[in-house]
Amino acid sequence: MRALGVRSAFPFGVTLIAFILLALFLIYPLAQVLVASLLDPTGTTLTFANYGRVLGIAFYRAGLINSLTLGAGAAAISVVVGVPMAFCLARLPIVGRNWLLAIAALPLVLPSFVGAYAWVMLLGRSGIVTQALASVGLPSLSIYGMPGLTLVFALHSFPYVLLPTVAAFKAIDQSMEEASLNLGATRIATFWRVQLPIALPAVLAGALLVFVETIENFGVPFLLAEDRPILAVQAYKLFVGEVGANPASAGVLSMLLVFCTVAALLVQRRYLARRRFSTAARSQPPELVVGAAGRIGATVYCWGMVLLALVPFAVVVVISFMPFRGPVLHPGFTIDNFIVLIDRASRPLLNTLGLASAATLAATLVGLPIGYVLVRYRSALAGILDSLSMTPLAVAGTVLGIGFVLAFNAGWLVLTGGWLVLAIVYAVRKLPFNVRAASAILHQIEPSLEEASINLGVSPARTFVQLTLPLMIGGVVGGMVLTWVAIVSELSATIVLYSGPWATMTIVMFQALEGGSPGVASAAATVLIAVTLVPLLLVYRLLRRHELSLT
Amino acid sequence: MADIRIEGLHRRFGAVEAVDDVSLHIRHGELFTLLGPSGCGKTTLLRMVAGFTDPDQGSIHVGDRRIDRLPPHRRDTGMVFQNYAIFPNLTVAGNVAYGLKARRVPPPEIARRVAAALGLVVLDDHGERWPHQLSGGQLQRVALARALVIEPEVLLLDEPLSNLDARLRVEMRGEIRRLQQSLGITAIYVTHDQEEALAISDRVAVMRAGRLEQVGTPTEIYHRPATPFAAQFVGTVNLLQGTVVAREGARVRLRIEDQLLLVPAMVAPGSGLSIALRPENLRLLTPDAPCPEGWGSLSARIERVEFLGPLTRLEIAAGRLTLHVATTETVDMVRQGDAVTLAYDPARITVFAPP
Repeated sequence: MRALGVRSAFPFGVTLIAFILLALFLIYPLAQVLVASLLDPTGTTLTFANYGRVLGIAFYRAGLINSLTLGAGAAAISVVVGVPMAFCLARLPIVGRNWLLAIAALPLVLPSFVGAYAWVMLLGRSGIVTQALASVGLPSLSIYGMPGLTLVFALHSFPYVLLPTVAAFKAIDQSMEEASLNLGATRIATFWRVQLPIALPAVLAGALLVFVETIENFGVPFLLAEDRPILAVQAYKLFVGEVGANPASAGVLSMLLVFCTVAALLVQRRYLARRRFSTAARSQPPELVVGAAGRIGATVYCWGMVLLALVPFAVVVVISFMPFRGPVLHPGFTIDNFIVLIDRASRPLLNTLGLASAATLAATLVGLPIGYVLVRYRSALAGILDSLSMTPLAVAGTVLGIGFVLAFNAGWLVLTGGWLVLAIVYAVRKLPFNVRAASAILHQIEPSLEEASINLGVSPARTFVQLTLPLMIGGVVGGMVLTWVAIVSELSATIVLYSGPWATMTIVMFQALEGGSPGVASAAATVLIAVTLVPLLLVYRLLRRHELSLT
Repeated sequence: MADIRIEGLHRRFGAVEAVDDVSLHIRHGELFTLLGPSGCGKTTLLRMVAGFTDPDQGSIHVGDRRIDRLPPHRRDTGMVFQNYAIFPNLTVAGNVAYGLKARRVPPPEIARRVAAALGLVVLDDHGERWPHQLSGGQLQRVALARALVIEPEVLLLDEPLSNLDARLRVEMRGEIRRLQQSLGITAIYVTHDQEEALAISDRVAVMRAGRLEQVGTPTEIYHRPATPFAAQFVGTVNLLQGTVVAREGARVRLRIEDQLLLVPAMVAPGSGLSIALRPENLRLLTPDAPCPEGWGSLSARIERVEFLGPLTRLEIAAGRLTLHVATTETVDMVRQGDAVTLAYDPARITVFAPP
């Protein structure tokens, strides 16, 4: 046995701190949800009776089935749409491919419920397209209900499949397909038997992410599900209690949600993570030669899908500058919506900006050292730390919010009612992304650089400050911006945890929608889109250089 | 005097004994090569000298100074890394100055020494360039200049040439040797390339599974390999096993497959022996030429001919025994399938002690 030297003290310390923080702000609240789901009505004995009771009610059973159907449907559509598109982007001469790749990730960062709201503006009961269709006597398409929900989710999250699959296709060495063709397979057979199977782990990993994100989502079903039960929404409704709060039933639905996401993520970790084929392509495979028709078709298809995902956001921005009378939109230009918004919501805007900044700082300060330990000190301890820091991925915002209320509303640590609880919940939710971003950045910095510095006489601590940190800083800043942007549009935990003065921009928009003020809602949506896009544009080059992805 | 004394060094990774009881004395000014296949522990041994891996047991001294307990940044070793490890955020001059700044050398002297070091590796006017503007060979030179400019007691080179193409490798190894000799610096050089090891080393340690297989000069290692492994790892060799059938003075007749060979050994009939015979020590006899005095000979048939320019490699079958032969003579006459006589000098056969 070696004594615990300085070199192992650092990773050990980081692991310990991470464990304490996550135990307090993730495990403890989740345990409270679990306990709530198990307590009988007297609040004294633990029992599984609540699960039987809730699942005995057809409405909640339908909620579980609806959530799973939605997740599976959105994932399936994402694959069907994303894989051909990925192949086109990787291998065909698409017009404006670099631009397309640059904006293809945007649907992931733009707030999903803003997108859902845009679809309501277009295809909802008094939507623009609906009314236009009605005026020429055509039946309208309904955006409400399961098909509409599935489509909106698929359009929002197909880049989760698209982006890694493009990378996977690009990473297949040309010799693979040449070998297949040389052995007598056709191009199409080569795609089905060689290229697709090699890219499949990346495709499935993306599809699982779509599944998890979809069943965790709160805002989209809240707007579009109408009276159909969805787990994340019903858990919230039961917890907040329109007819009296019911933490036991809310706990049961929350735990069901957690089981579903954990199961999906375990499949990802145990099964898919090991099935990455190492396909070190010496160079990117060349573009395939297709005729003009093929080129135009592929270009239209790829641009069409991305624009279809992004157009709703543009529509919202345009609408926000048009006058509403009551719920009805009129042609014209006005900034009245923004004047009303500023009047009502300048405090929430500041809240959003401040909270996002505080939470980003916290997530970075915790995530960066964890990422460093994971990359530079491979050990059993690092394995535990890795699993631990990825756990928040498996917990829906609504569930974590409910857990925080149950855990920190009373007792030895009271946090609810202030800003701190929101900042903490955001930081916890974004920790996995931060850890992975830090790891990704560090993977690009050869450990031998640090060793060279130490070998030349600079102590490890000073090496970190004067060499590693400057090499990382661009990537870290990029990662912070991505974190910040994601927190700005957080709704599902905020809705459970916010209190009076600490409402955020997303809450303002949510309330405006509920309260029938579409003008204010569209103005709030535009502000959210701007607050998301502008920082991303500012650091775009940084993100490209450090190969940071939004997934 | 910067000689290096390594005593009883051990390092275990999990269940694997990466370095298993290694003791070495590397003399001042010597270029000492650790040679072995991947996973033999040569890099671990080098990294223990540099301080990036802690030994479980044993000690390392440089001169009178014990260094194995020192943190790596105080060991005063200059290391050249396999992937060069040139700092991408500093210019060439910035890279070379890095270690001098850490030693708080005054700026005017830094400038002078950096210029001198860059001159040494023939990169005089490249100081203001950025690493991404340089070729692999130039990066290698920067790495060398950066390690040498701090005037370390010991130069450590971890497979420094493995990322270069073949021609450049030959050129750079000559340059490394020239620099090392002109500066008189003690150097440890890790490589898996036996030709490189033979070409530039004062002495070579052949390593296998964490242990030293043999330590010696290149000629000793090549001509008098201590073990079958060392014989096989360095150069091409006919490694044969047989049974002694008769003793003739200081020699024995050894049966290998269906052939009998004369081998310099004094063991009783019935014992097993391993021998090594280099391809160039087997000679093809023209039909009318006599077998030299004291040599042995075999009747054989040519199986394969590989013409390599300066020499020709042949695969020759004597009964069931297949032998590799190398000759510098013109062998236009021989063809696949020809019957030939193979002669060998028993004195050139290496006999290994039975395991």
